[in-house]
Order: sequence, then structure tokens, then C-alpha cells
Amino acid sequence: MDTQDWTSAPVGLLTLTADGVVLEVNEALLHWTGHCRASVVGTRLPELFSIGGRMYWETHLAPLLHAEGRVDEVAVELVVAAGRLPVLLTAVLSPHGGTEARMHVALSGARERSRYERELLAARSQADHTARQITALHQATAAVSAATLVSEVAEALLSTAAYALGARAATVWLTGDDGELHPHHSDQPPLPAPPGSDAEAVLISLLGRDRVQGVLRFVPASRTELLDHDVLTSIGRQAGVALDRAHLYERSTSVAHELAHSLLAGSAPKDDRFVVAAAYRPAVADLAVGGDWHDTFLLGADAVALVVGDVVGRGLSAAIAMGQLRSATRAVAAPGRGPAVVLAELDRFVEQVEAAAVATVAYGELDLEAGQLTYACAGHLPPLLLPVSAPPRFLWEGRSTPLGSTASHGRVEASVDLAPGDRVLLYTDGLVERRCSDIDDRMGRLLTVARRERDQPLADAVRTITDEMLHGVTAPDDACALLLAWQGPHPASRAGAG
Amino acid sequence: MVGPVDPLQRNNVARQGNPSHPLMVFAHGFGCDQGMWRLVAPSFAETHHLVLFDHVGAGGADPSAYDVVRHSALDGYADDVIELLEALEAGPAIFVGHSVSAMIAVLAARRRPELFARLVMVGPSARYLDDEGYVGGFSAEAIEELLATMGDNYLGWAAHLAPIIMGAPERPELAAELERSFCQTDPELAKRFARTTFLSDNRADLPHVPTPSLVLQAREDVIASMQVGRYVHDHLPVSEFAVLETTGHCPHLSAPSELIGAMRRYLLSA
Repeated sequence: MDTQDWTSAPVGLLTLTADGVVLEVNEALLHWTGHCRASVVGTRLPELFSIGGRMYWETHLAPLLHAEGRVDEVAVELVVAAGRLPVLLTAVLSPHGGTEARMHVALSGARERSRYERELLAARSQADHTARQITALHQATAAVSAATLVSEVAEALLSTAAYALGARAATVWLTGDDGELHPHHSDQPPLPAPPGSDAEAVLISLLGRDRVQGVLRFVPASRTELLDHDVLTSIGRQAGVALDRAHLYERSTSVAHELAHSLLAGSAPKDDRFVVAAAYRPAVADLAVGGDWHDTFLLGADAVALVVGDVVGRGLSAAIAMGQLRSATRAVAAPGRGPAVVLAELDRFVEQVEAAAVATVAYGELDLEAGQLTYACAGHLPPLLLPVSAPPRFLWEGRSTPLGSTASHGRVEASVDLAPGDRVLLYTDGLVERRCSDIDDRMGRLLTVARRERDQPLADAVRTITDEMLHGVTAPDDACALLLAWQGPHPASRAGAG
Repeated sequence: MVGPVDPLQRNNVARQGNPSHPLMVFAHGFGCDQGMWRLVAPSFAETHHLVLFDHVGAGGADPSAYDVVRHSALDGYADDVIELLEALEAGPAIFVGHSVSAMIAVLAARRRPELFARLVMVGPSARYLDDEGYVGGFSAEAIEELLATMGDNYLGWAAHLAPIIMGAPERPELAAELERSFCQTDPELAKRFARTTFLSDNRADLPHVPTPSLVLQAREDVIASMQVGRYVHDHLPVSEFAVLETTGHCPHLSAPSELIGAMRRYLLSA
């Protein structure tokens, strides 16, 4: 190629030293840039670039040229009279080393390519944006859907806010029973509140089916990263519906609690020959009541029935079934029938009442004159006998399968004679069952605590036993305990007998 | 991240030379990776225990080790260097840092002087941005434009690494693998590293570096000018200054033998 061809080629051509200083330049490049030859020759090529290109030359291209001898089609911008001109740079370092080394550079116009690239970038950023929106919506929806209680929905929103919504700070306000908004006090450490951020805060209303259930207020980490309006609205709706559901759940569990309490609130029968005290601790884990109950009632003039039972299940239906089974027990019990017959009758009853289909019961009848306790356990834990003058022991006889179990082979009963002052404790499995603990250890523990409380007043004893057995149990199940002391026969009959 | 981090793996450490010799660590600057030292490092293999590494976010360093918070300041990179030197358990290092790595070394040596025997700074700058009474070489507008250019992920940067790594048709003897690995950067991380680098200001750290240092300055360097290099030399408590007769920001590539000579003279004079 002669010099004439070189200078009039339709691309910008330069020859440089290995350091990048321009030795020769062609007409096309001078024409593009508006520089005169004298001002270009002797300067370094990167000085013709915008700062991005200049830095790229120094930090990437020069090292690459030294390493590999060439670079191909690298986009840079020339600073020209009319502003910026995007070009593609191809450069080759001549193989001779040392100070004689030359670099040959071709620059070709790249307006079309740069426009195309801009469009590609715009499309990619749009795609990234959409993906981010969908991910955020998905994360928020998953978080609030997994929450059960109102406070859990609020916590889920707060924790989601940080990563899905890109919030620097967030608070949740919930609509209370008074219809007013109240701030939700999180047990999590709050996201640090940025200074002077009120103007930037975004409010999302948490719209339930019939009312605004609350408001999520957050300060986005950056304006540009803020999610689209319809995505935020949609997150608000999801949270609102989750709050509807959580409120409904909490109401139904509170109805169940009230029901359980009112069923168990009846006063025990009064008789000089015995004293009775009971303790009931509803489950607190998820506010769902179980089906535990206790009961004491007189059978004719000289006997008292004592019952502790447990309907398998949770919530309102378990509470209702418990109430039915409790009433049924009173209905089928009669003087002279005995525990085995009562349990057999209850078997027939639970066949009709589906919610009570699986239940365990400890049932005993105490002859208030003779002090004989006849008892039977349908799948229930054994009563604990606390004699005045002997060590306590579990009453392991009179056992048969739970109520309603198809494997039932008839009901059996057993009896034991009490001395005046002897006590007997009936309880449900919530008192002794504990995750990660052996049931035998727990029953051993019950024996120890009950023995220690043997001489305390009855009401104190049953409360202390329950407290100690549940102490340190995280998320305890329902637990119920009934403690009865036989005081001995009527003085009159004692005199008569003597 | 789970479990303890192995700094040697994280920073893609490569060793050369004799492990019983004094430790010499090479740290690359903004842009490429440890491959930048290939014309310099081998000359010290006879006399030193050489360690080369890639900063997190560059070259073959573990990409999952990049921490947006930790690596948003040079201090985070200094932490990496300290952990690396501790893990090497090879005594105090002669630490050769190019460009921003010189300032990373300044931060590390200020905090843990016992880990450093000497510092060799190639093209250092304590601050790129002009300030009152200080010439960094870049106006605020220029830095903004630079970062914006990279922010666009547009001209001149990552979008165009692809054609570069397509390779050198005239040099087929270069293994394709090698070409692909050299100077390959994640555009997003390069952008963050540029921000961290070009907005840093380490002038106040210089007087607190007890390590004897050598400042190597290219005759003409648009990124770190003579004035900027002199400033570093003037404010380090114990330092020497040498000018390399070359142009550009990478004298280890454009004038390797001069640079090797200057380092040898300095290390022998100790």
C-alpha cells in the first residue's frame, strides 16, 4: 500500500511507538477529529479518547497489546469537534521488540454498532428489571403465605422488605380492633433508619378483602431500584389477604380458648369427705387449644367420679368434641355402674361423634365411705397415688385401649383402697410429654415433684406440680391435672361403724 | 459464606522460586491480574520466594468471595492482603504493588507493619481527584464521566472484552486458555473496583507507614503523574524515588528490565 492509499483510506489509521506516541496519522482521522496533523503527531493516542477510553487504554489495552501483540475491535470514543465519535479500534504491535517496535492502529466508525449495542443494553436492563420484579413479588408472597399469625405476617413483611424490596428501613402499621393504625413492634432488631428520609418513604396499603389491614412503610435503598407500582400494589394485596386469614385464624382459636375455659370453669361438688383441685394450661405454641379436660361430679350420695381426658386434635373442633365427651361421661356415669361400663358406653358414644373419634380417658370412682377407688384408663397415662404413709406409685392396672380404637377388646377396671388423707393425681400427657425427653424420665420427675408437694395444701400442690413440670418447656402442649384427697368417711358413719 | 476462608485459594495464589528465600509478593492494580507481572517476577525466582495473587473480583480469584461491603473500600482489600500474608506464614514480605495495590499495601502496612519488610510501589497515587492544594490529575467531572462510562457498561469497557479474547490470529502458539484468562474481568466488579480506586484518598495514611519503601514512577503516566508519585515519596517516612524512562501506567510491561534493575539496586542497598 503506498502512502497515497494509506492517507485516503476510509478508516482512521495511525502508526505509534510501542508506548503509544503517534508517529503517523492519515487524512480520515484528521478529518474526523478536526485536528491538524501537527497537533496529533507526537501526542499519545489515548489522549484523543474520552476519559473512559483513556483509562481503558492504560489499564487494559496497553497490557493486552504487550501480552498478546494485538487487540481487535475494541470500542472507544474519540473526542471530536462535534462531541464524541464511537469507533472500533484494532491494533497490532509489530513483532520487532525494543524501541523500534511499532504499533499499527485502525479506527473504524461504529455509530451503527454503538446504537445497536445501546439497544441491546436497554433490552437487557429491561429484562433484568422484569426478572427482579418477579423475584421480589415471589419472595414477598412466599413469606407472607407461610405466616400463620398476624404478628408473623408483619414480621414476614419486615424481613422481606430488606431483601426483596431493597428497603433501608421499614415499619409495619396494623389496623387494630378500633379501626386505627398501630405500629407493629418487631422483636427483630429494626433496620437502621436513615437520616432525613421521610420524603423518600414509600407507603403500601395492605388491602384485605373488606378493609385495609395495615400499611407497610419503607425507605428504598435507591430510587432507581424501586419496584414498579403494580408490583408493590400486588405485594400489598397479598399481605392484606394474609392478614385477613391470620385474623380469622386468631379469632377462631380465641373462640376455642374461651369455649375450653368456660367448659372447664364449672365449680367442683362440695363434700366434707374429699377435697379436689385442678389446673389447666392451654397450649401456647400456635394459640390452638387442644382437647384436654378434667371433671369431678358426685355419683349418688356416697361416691364421687373423677375424670381426666384428652381428645386428639386441635382448635375449635377439638374443643367442641371435648365438651361433648365431657357431658357424655357425666350422662353415662351412674351409681353402681363402675368405670369399665362407663368406658364401654363412651366407646359407643365416640362412634357417633367423629371429632371425638380418638380420645384417651382416665376415669375413677371413689367410694366416699369405704375409701375404695375403682379406676380404668382408656389409653391414658396411669393415675398417681400419693398415700399418706407410703411412697407414691403409679396405678398401672385397669388399662385398655383408647376410646374409639377398633382394637378394643372390652374394658377392664381395677381398685385400690385409700386411707384418709391419701391423694390421687390424674393428668394428661401434656404434663409429662416433652420433645427430646424420655417419657420414663419425665414420669420419674413427676413422681419426685408430687412426693415433695405431698403435704402442701391441695390447690397449691396441683399448681406447683403443673408449673414445675412445664417449666422450661418451649411451646408446651395442653396440660391438665386433677388432684383429689380423700378425707375419710362422715364422722357419723365412723361412729356407726365403730 | 460458611466456614473459614482460605486466603490462598480465595486470591488464586501462585508460587515460584525457593520457599526458603525471602518472601516477595506481587500485587496487580486495577485492570488485569497477576499475569501483569510475567515480565518481572521470573527475574527474582532465583533469589526470592515469589507469591503472585489476584485481588477478589479479578483474574482467577474466587468470585464468591466478593463482598459488596468489604470490597467497597480499599481497607477491605487490605484485610485480604493481611489474611493472605498471615496464611503464607513466610515471614515479612517485600511487597510489590502496582497502582492501587500500592495504597492497599500502605493501609495493610500501617495496621500490621510486622508483616512487611519492604514496599515497592509502581505508579502509586494517594488520591486521583484534584483537591485544594493537591493535584491528583483528575477533575471531579472527569472521574464522574469515567464512572458513568463504566456504569453504562458501554464503550471501551466490558462489552468489548469478548472480541479481545477472540485472540491473536497471528500468534496461534499462545494457548487459547491463556488468552482467555488474561485481563478478563467481570464488568460489574470492574466498575465497583474503579469506583473504590478512583475515589480513594490515602494521603493521611502515608506518614504512618514505617516500612521502608521504593516509589517507582514512569516518566509519563496519565493515571499517576510525576507530581503524584513525588507526593507519595515526600510523605512516606522512609522512602526512595526512582524514575523509569518509559511512558504509560504499566512500566512492568513497557519497561520491565528497567524496573527490574531499579528494584535490584534498591533491595541490594538495604
